[in-house]
Amino acid sequence: MKRNGNGHRKEKAVPPPLARRDFLRRCGTIAAGGAALTIAGLLLRKAESGKRSETFWQIDPAKCIYCGRCETECVLSVSAVKCMHANRVCGYCDLCGGYYRSNVKELNTAAENLMCPAGAILRKFVEEPYFEYTIDESLCTGCAKCAKGCNSFGNGSLYMQIKQDLCTNCNECSIANVCPSDAIARVPTTAAYDLKNG
Amino acid sequence: MNSILTCFALTRFALTRSAFSALPCVQNRFPKPDFESGYAYPGLVYGVPDEILWTCIDLAALVLFMSVTAWATLRKRLRTPVLAVAVSSVAYFGFFRKGCVCSIGAIQNVSLALVDSSYAIPLSVLAVFILPLVFALLFGRVFCAGTCPFGALQELINIRNHKVPRPLASFLSLVPWIYLLLALVFAMTRSSFVICRFDPFIGIFRMGGEVPMIVAGAVLLIASIFTGRPFCRFLCPYGALLGLFSRVSVWNVKIVKQSCINCDLCRNACYVDAIRPPCDNKVKESRPAGVRRILLYLVVLPFMAFAGALAGRALSDSFAGTDKKVRLLEMVLAADAEKNSPESQSFELEAFHGRGGDVGELSTQVVAVRNKFKRYSTGAGAMAGIIVGISLTGLSVKRARKHYEINDAHCVSCGRCFAYCPQNLAAKSD
Repeated sequence: MKRNGNGHRKEKAVPPPLARRDFLRRCGTIAAGGAALTIAGLLLRKAESGKRSETFWQIDPAKCIYCGRCETECVLSVSAVKCMHANRVCGYCDLCGGYYRSNVKELNTAAENLMCPAGAILRKFVEEPYFEYTIDESLCTGCAKCAKGCNSFGNGSLYMQIKQDLCTNCNECSIANVCPSDAIARVPTTAAYDLKNG
Repeated sequence: MNSILTCFALTRFALTRSAFSALPCVQNRFPKPDFESGYAYPGLVYGVPDEILWTCIDLAALVLFMSVTAWATLRKRLRTPVLAVAVSSVAYFGFFRKGCVCSIGAIQNVSLALVDSSYAIPLSVLAVFILPLVFALLFGRVFCAGTCPFGALQELINIRNHKVPRPLASFLSLVPWIYLLLALVFAMTRSSFVICRFDPFIGIFRMGGEVPMIVAGAVLLIASIFTGRPFCRFLCPYGALLGLFSRVSVWNVKIVKQSCINCDLCRNACYVDAIRPPCDNKVKESRPAGVRRILLYLVVLPFMAFAGALAGRALSDSFAGTDKKVRLLEMVLAADAEKNSPESQSFELEAFHGRGGDVGELSTQVVAVRNKFKRYSTGAGAMAGIIVGISLTGLSVKRARKHYEINDAHCVSCGRCFAYCPQNLAAKSD
C-alpha cells in the first residue's frame, strides 16, 4: 500500500502525504490488532473445548528401552532423568540384576562388580534372604544401566523417570528428540510422574 | 536362596539381547517377599514444582517489565529503568528460569496449535506469545528493549557502535523472515522446534549445552559488543513479527517533544540503525512513470511468490528427511536390505521391533509426513518470495523527510538516543 505514495502525490483531491500515511498506519494498527485477537480467540476457544494442556515431560516406563541416551542428551550437565525404585515391585533379591553386573566372578561390593557406575544404588540387608535397594538421587546420572539389568533379569522395579524439580521444562525436550522408543511425551500436571506400583 | 540364584543364572543366560525389548514393563519373575522382621516399605514422595504459581509469577514479571519499559521510554524518556529491567530480566528469565518457555519459541507452539487439532497449547504459552505482540501494537518493541533476556544480554554488553553497511543490513534483515518461515514449516509438521534447537543464548543461561550452539552464542555475543544486537536484527524471528506490529503501533517512541534541530546525534547514538536521517527526495518521478513502476511491482510479485513456492516444494523432501519417522523408516529399510548383520542393530530398530514393528503402518505415516512437508514448505516458499519482493519494493521507495525520524519497525525502545538529544536535555533542565 505504502508504495502508492509517489504515484498519487500530485492529485489534488488526495489529502497531504502525512495525513494519508497516518490513515494507512491506523488501518495497519486495526489489521494487526485484529490478527492478534483472531489468533488469541481461536486458540482460547480451542483451550476451552476441554483438552487438558500437558505441561511436564515424562518417560513412559512401558515404552522405555533403557538405551542410556537420557544421561547424555539432557540439556542439563547432570541429567534430570533419574532412576526410581518401586519397592513394592522389587523382589529384594540378594543377586540383583540391577545391582551386580552380569557374569561377575565374586559377589562383593567392589566397584568392578557393580552395575551402577556412580555407586548410586545403596544396598541394605533386611532379613534372610532379602536386601533392600535404594537410589541415591544425588549420585544418579540417569544412565539406565541398572534399569536395563533389572528389567532383563528381575521384576523391573528400577525404571527411569524425569525428576520434575530438576527438569527445566524445555519447550522441546532434547532427550525426546533422540528417544528411540518415543517414550518421552508431555503429561498433565496431575500426572507428573508415571510411577510403578506393585 | 539357592533357587533364586539358579533362577537368576538361568534367566541371565537364556535371554538374548534382542529379546529384551519384547518384555512387558513389570515382570513378576520373583515373588513379592514375605517379610517376617516387620519391614515396612519406604514411602517415596517425588517433588513436583508448583507450575501454576511459577506461570503466574512469570506472566506478572513479563507484564511488569514491559510496562516499566513503556513508561520509561514513552512518558519519561529515560534509559535507566530500561537498563534495570534488562538486568532483572537476564537474572530472572535468563539465569533463574533458564529461558523456557520464551516468546520466540512460543511462535512454534502457537502455529502448531493453529494447524494441529490434537495439540493442546497451554494457556501460559499462548499468553507469552500474545502479550509482547499486544504491547508492541500499543507501545512499540518494549519487549525487545530489556524484557527479552536475549535482547537484554546483548544490550548490556554492547560497548561500541559500528554500523553495519546499509546494503548488507537490508539483506541480512531478510534472514529472520526466512528463519521464521522455516521454523513454521518444521513446527506445523510437528517435526521439531527449530528455534529451540538452534537457540544460541540458552546454553549461556543454562551454563552448558551443545558445543556448536555455545560457540554460536559466544560469537554473537562478541559481535554484539561491537555492533548493536546482531541476534535481534538479523536472526530473531519474533523480532521480525514484533517489528511488523511496532510499525503500526498506537503510541511510539519520540526522541523529543520539541522540534528536531537535525544535529545527527541521535542517529549516531542509535545502535540498531533505527533512525532515518532527513532526506531531500530529489528523484522527482512523473505520475505515469510512478504508476508504471507500481504495476511492474504488482506483476513481478506473483512471479516471485511462484518461484519461492517452487523452491519450497523442491526443498520439502530434504526437510522431511530430518523428521524422526522418516529417518526410522530409512533405518528399517536399510536394515532389511542387509539382514545378515544383526549386531549392528541400533536402539531405534530395537525399539521399533520391540513394539511390534509394523513397516506398512510406518510407511503410511511417513507418506503423511512427507505430504505435510510438501504442503507447508510450498506455502512457506511462496511467502518467502512475497517477503523478498516486498522488501525489494521497499528499498526502491524514497520519501522526503525534513527531520530525523524513528523507524518504528527497527526501534527496540532501548532509550539510548534520549540522552544524546540536545533538545531533550534542554527540556529536562528547564
